[in-house]
Amino acid sequence: MNSADFIALLPLIVPALASVVLLLLITFSRSHAVSVLFTLGSLLLSFLLLFVAGGGTPRRVTPLFIMDAYSLFFIGLLFIAGIVVAVMSSRYLGERSMERGEYYVLLLLATLGASVLAAGSHFASFFAGLEILSVSLYTLIAYRRNDDRGNEAGLKYLILAAASSSFLLFGMALVYAQTGSMDFFQLAEGGRVPDLTVVLSAGLLLITVGVGFKLAVVPFHLWTPDVYEGAPAPVAAFIATSSKGAIFALLMRYFSLMDLQRFPAVWYGIAGIAVASMLIGNLLALRQNNLKRILAYSSIAHMGYLLVAVLAGGTVAKTAVGYYLAAYFATMLGAFGVIAFLSGEEGDAENLEAYRGMAWSRPWTAGVFVAMLLSLAGIPLTAGFIGKFYVVAAGAGAALWIPLIVLVAGSTIGLYYYLRIVAVLYGRVPEGEGGAVTGFPGRVLGMTGGILLTVLTFALLWLGVYPAPLIRILQATVARLVP
Amino acid sequence: MNPMTPGSYMPTEYFPVLITMVIASAVGFGALFVGNLFRLKRAYREKLMAYESGNPPLEEPRYRFNVKFYIIAMLFVVFDVEAVFLYPWAIVYDKIGLYALIEMLLFIVVLVVGYVYAWKKEAFVWD
Amino acid sequence: MVPLEWYIGLSTVLFVIGVVGFLIRRNILIMLMSIELMLNSVNISLVAFSHYLQDLRGQVLVFFIITVAAAEAAIGLAILISLFRNKEAVHTDEMTEMKG
Repeated sequence: MNSADFIALLPLIVPALASVVLLLLITFSRSHAVSVLFTLGSLLLSFLLLFVAGGGTPRRVTPLFIMDAYSLFFIGLLFIAGIVVAVMSSRYLGERSMERGEYYVLLLLATLGASVLAAGSHFASFFAGLEILSVSLYTLIAYRRNDDRGNEAGLKYLILAAASSSFLLFGMALVYAQTGSMDFFQLAEGGRVPDLTVVLSAGLLLITVGVGFKLAVVPFHLWTPDVYEGAPAPVAAFIATSSKGAIFALLMRYFSLMDLQRFPAVWYGIAGIAVASMLIGNLLALRQNNLKRILAYSSIAHMGYLLVAVLAGGTVAKTAVGYYLAAYFATMLGAFGVIAFLSGEEGDAENLEAYRGMAWSRPWTAGVFVAMLLSLAGIPLTAGFIGKFYVVAAGAGAALWIPLIVLVAGSTIGLYYYLRIVAVLYGRVPEGEGGAVTGFPGRVLGMTGGILLTVLTFALLWLGVYPAPLIRILQATVARLVP
Repeated sequence: MNPMTPGSYMPTEYFPVLITMVIASAVGFGALFVGNLFRLKRAYREKLMAYESGNPPLEEPRYRFNVKFYIIAMLFVVFDVEAVFLYPWAIVYDKIGLYALIEMLLFIVVLVVGYVYAWKKEAFVWD
Repeated sequence: MVPLEWYIGLSTVLFVIGVVGFLIRRNILIMLMSIELMLNSVNISLVAFSHYLQDLRGQVLVFFIITVAAAEAAIGLAILISLFRNKEAVHTDEMTEMKG
């Protein structure tokens, strides 16, 4: 590894170093403000270093990492998500009497793991990144250790994630046995994967199980609502965005390099998962009255939409995936942000009925929430609409009519439960209960929350009205995905 | 030979291992079986008690361990397993030299930071 | 030399035992042990493949798996203890805070 490699890898080295330094820091100073500022500072520094690292791209840094425009784009997205979650958590933790410093160490590590995934080009970095991410998440989910639901969710996630990791590893071992390589680029070049043998099919199937679990697509979705409900709201936001986005970035690279779409068995498998996720995710969301669970099922459906773009393949589809993920990040972070900032010490603000009539007493908070919900539903003028539009365009270009019909049907069902939340927000305030503030007495977004959510809302609208700059960046990044 | 092609192979050099296993299990199970044939089957209370060197047992044999045991055990597992990385490092150290030394120092420093954290959290204090 | 199929067979059998144990047992500790068995069966197959391909990368991955398995076991036990302190549950059937 020479100095150019080192510079290219700096955006990953800084958060790794920062987490160790922060661990040392909190053993001597337990100031919450110091931990928050240190976390934000190191994430911001890592983000800026992406531009420095961008000078020498594309570059293979050891066989483990590939730093190119594609990975830099996703790492940047993950760092922004990390910053947003850290800001959300600062208020969330600040109001609770618990150990706080460790949370930020784990958050830095989880962001690092996700970034390693986005830059991974080898089974070893895939596994290492995945486990850095998952092991940090187990603890983050169970962070409220006096809360039964939190512990239960953490344990549930740990048991299932560990089992899915072993499936993934067995799949990797079989693919390795068949192809003799763990390097994505070596697999890609020279037609090392001419056809599907029994061992290779078994390996790919097992990898699909492992990855499907992390993406929470049907039929591997059962943990999602429970974990979202049990985890603290900022952590749920992190699972919904960074954890899934990073896996998706890696999956796209692996798929494009191995050109897996050419195998009908793989193609139909993914089509089945996509269709099932879109339908079941949206249908199960209808019955829920807990906002975190609704968002969990909604995220299952959104992963299904994204898989339609993966099925389509080609440059348009890859641009669509990048755009969709950026829009999805902004929207999910905003939606969970509202919940996190309105949550009090007695529990998260997740009960839908507590929001009844909030629009009349707090028009701005409700307005932000409505913007997020409309973007999730894919209403024009929001980022979600453009994202969905691109996915549909990619699907239509590849003539994927059945998945597209299901996508439209799923979005229609989705519209119903998103608008149901909007209806509750603008609903009639129950008489004699002291108005809309029954659910969270006196809770307001506060200064940090107000600024953060305003920025996210503007990002959402800007992406929805003027998508051209981001599209241009994305087109430049995906063009180099396959050498 | 291509390792992936199936062949008709018998691992003959492992045949003694199989014989050892068969004899060992035959002795073990045989002793139990023969003992069962000849021994008297008269159970009374003292005989069914847990054996505590002749003294009557003081408390239930299954009681809850202090939670501190678990914390020590967890710390042991985590720090102990890290040693696995030292073996390959020691083997290739001659070939890589200074670079390997710096890498391993970084690794050890990270472990030490974790140790300092556990120490300051008073994870090693028993009372 | 023992041919590769025997190793694939051994690791597959161990993996399946782990999966079955994971699916039918309801005690969290047994489930963690089953996961450990699954991971170790992967280790066997990786070492075997790595030996037959004359390529050390498979064995490097085994080192990662060993450490990660230890970390997962430690964190799993930690969360289990914290859960057990609040309410005395070790079986998944007793964990019913969330339904839906």
